[in-house]
Amino acid sequence: MPNSLRVLRAQHGWSQADLADRLGVSRQTVNSIETEKYDPSLPLAFRIAALFGLPIEDIFSLAPKEIDR
Amino acid sequence: MNAPSAVREQVTWRALIVAGVLFVAAYFVARGWIETAEPRSGEALAAALLPVPFFGFLLLTFVRGVRSMDELERRIQLEALAVAFPCAILIAFVVGLLHLAGFHGTNDFDPPRLWPLLLLPYWFGIVVARRRYA
Repeated sequence: MPNSLRVLRAQHGWSQADLADRLGVSRQTVNSIETEKYDPSLPLAFRIAALFGLPIEDIFSLAPKEIDR
Repeated sequence: MNAPSAVREQVTWRALIVAGVLFVAAYFVARGWIETAEPRSGEALAAALLPVPFFGFLLLTFVRGVRSMDELERRIQLEALAVAFPCAILIAFVVGLLHLAGFHGTNDFDPPRLWPLLLLPYWFGIVVARRRYA
């Protein structure tokens, strides 16, 4: 799922490990979300949104092929 | 905030190793006990069932471990088990057919020799799933 997690993390000066600790997940999970290989669950997406103080739709967007499905 | 994921993973693996070692030890104690017990006796039955509670403990530890994992690691475990479970059934079928085909009596298909074979598809599934999400 396309997302701006890497950009937001960089803006806060956090490493993947820092963000993973704040979210209570593994660094691999953060990396997989950033590289769009793994779509987070809704609760995790909400936690990410809350951490950055943004609405979910400002961080995550649907890929065009997912919209057409 | 939750305990760091790496710490949780370490605790999970330690608990799994302890539970696994206990189960394997119980299995070998049972094997030794069965050899000294009279066949089809209550003692032989008790010896044969000795590893069951230890396996229950191993299973409980594994389930607890999976529940303590983060959501991606749970997905990886699910995908690995989706490979391992049918493969374990296939191995059991093949071993049964090999017995029927006369390939028995050499201890080649003894459980201690089969365990690594049953674990291989699980590890293969873990490696494939980890690479997929890496």
